[in-house]
Amino acid sequence: MPLISTRALTKRYPGGITALDGLTVDIEPGVIGLVGANGAGKSTLLKILLGLLPATEGEARVLDLDTATQGAKIRELVGYMPEHDCLPPDVSATEFVSHMARVSGLPAGAARERTADVLRHVGLYEERYRPIGGYSTGMKQRVKLAQSLVHDPRVLFLDEPTNGLDPAGRDEMLALIERIGREFGIAVIVASHLLGEIERVAGWLVAIDAGRLLRTASLSSFVERTGQLLIETDEDAAGLAERLVARGIDARADGRTVLADLSTGGEGEFTVYEAVRDEAVALRLALVRVEARRHQLEDLFRTGGADDRVG
Amino acid sequence: MTASADPGFGTIYDIGYRHYEGPRLGRQGAMAAIFSAGLRAVFALGRSARAKIVPWGTVVLGLAPAVVAVAIRVLVGDIVELYSYESYLWGIGALFMIFVAAQAPELVVNDMRHRVLPLYFSRPISRVDYVVAKLGALTVGLLALTLVPVLLLFAGRVLAAEDVVGALGDEIGALPGILGSGVLHAAVLASLGLAISSLAGRRAYAAGAVLGVFLVSGVVSAIFAETPGALADFSPFLNPLAILDGTREWLFGGSVAESPVGLSDAPLWTYGAATLGLLLVSWAILALRYRRVPT
Repeated sequence: MPLISTRALTKRYPGGITALDGLTVDIEPGVIGLVGANGAGKSTLLKILLGLLPATEGEARVLDLDTATQGAKIRELVGYMPEHDCLPPDVSATEFVSHMARVSGLPAGAARERTADVLRHVGLYEERYRPIGGYSTGMKQRVKLAQSLVHDPRVLFLDEPTNGLDPAGRDEMLALIERIGREFGIAVIVASHLLGEIERVAGWLVAIDAGRLLRTASLSSFVERTGQLLIETDEDAAGLAERLVARGIDARADGRTVLADLSTGGEGEFTVYEAVRDEAVALRLALVRVEARRHQLEDLFRTGGADDRVG
Repeated sequence: MTASADPGFGTIYDIGYRHYEGPRLGRQGAMAAIFSAGLRAVFALGRSARAKIVPWGTVVLGLAPAVVAVAIRVLVGDIVELYSYESYLWGIGALFMIFVAAQAPELVVNDMRHRVLPLYFSRPISRVDYVVAKLGALTVGLLALTLVPVLLLFAGRVLAAEDVVGALGDEIGALPGILGSGVLHAAVLASLGLAISSLAGRRAYAAGAVLGVFLVSGVVSAIFAETPGALADFSPFLNPLAILDGTREWLFGGSVAESPVGLSDAPLWTYGAATLGLLLVSWAILALRYRRVPT
């Protein structure tokens, strides 16, 4: 039984906007990145999975429960961290998180205990007794995460969890998400339009675009080597490419970089490296970077059959 | 406590993440949590002393006349006539409005304004459950004003009598009316107050709007009452407290001299219909308002 499965899931809003268009995907436990540009349908998918929005067509199951008929049961076992601000300013984190624990169905005593535990895990200490209104964005994001985690859900839905954070705060949030998935053993679905971040925490990716499934695969297969060598120089890249081509290597220049195909040029990729070295010396070129190029997640949206408007 | 160098004492160990294996109370537990947190908010428990002034002040003012009258009856004797239950309820009506205007916004405005509602809706409750729990909290809170003082008066009448058993026999018949009137007032005023508050963006605006509706309707109703003819008959229907008093009289009997209900020729059942109308309109406003909240 997959953690989440959707079959031909379609959502059309009144006014003709199609947010999801026949999405069929199975998602297994782990830390899963739900990637797509803004407006690709990520938030709509999360709301349907929470049983908060009815699908126009198709069906979706979470933990083998039907989102259309068993929404309340699903919401008991799922944690949700919305993208937007959602905290009242005049109560403390302790009060708020323990209230939300009880609203998730925990008895009062358990709610208090787990609130203390979870606030410690997300890294809120003395400040948890102060009103939330005085918190920094980073602390607020931690409270938002804590309220989604406090009832020990089986699955966590995080919608753009690093929104509004500075680089340090982003690192800490990503580290927390990774820990929740790996150490706490809770499946995490992270919706984000920031591929670079998803890359750091997710083991599996689901890429959607315009409400359709673009690709779903393990992260490693998304970023596997492409068989190309990338050479970056600070001057004449075109000249280098010309000389490489003259040696029988499939190479082309693009601005200050040259992409050379490692499978061409004779005896394996080493001859390509040697050629690059020799020609760079001959041309007296300063090389900035030489590396085996990997797929970038961005390529997905350029070449994976996506529309041009997603960049 | 200082960080002790002595291992095993005063050391905080990271015991890691613990899973929760205990009971999950689901929808009932969630509604009970919203209800009890709501009741705390209604009486400003856990809040500043300043926030407690209105709810506790009105409750004290609502109880004071009953306490004083009963005390005089006990200490001095039969020199004053004790209030009738219905005129007591009518007499402290203004306090209901102040209480509702101040406390209804506490229950609903911040959740809406700070977009906390999506967090509630991502838990095992529906939008209707949320509103019902909040409505329940305000209704039960209001009973401290619409029921408790009248019950105190009831107890005073019975216990201050020389023949307690006989007095109990005389007064017991009024009990259903006391309970019914108290619940009726609380439920209708809570619905009205919550509905108006749900439309406001800030607590102060909500309080002003609730008070405004009550005050303006009372003033307009009083003006209409002075004009001759059909308008005067219609005047009580502009004042929620008069509508409630008419309904109370229709259901349980006993007229209040000061109430505009006595000035109108409208049959009593029409007050019942008007109360039903108030409830339905309030609930419709709440339903529409909360349906429009995005998840």
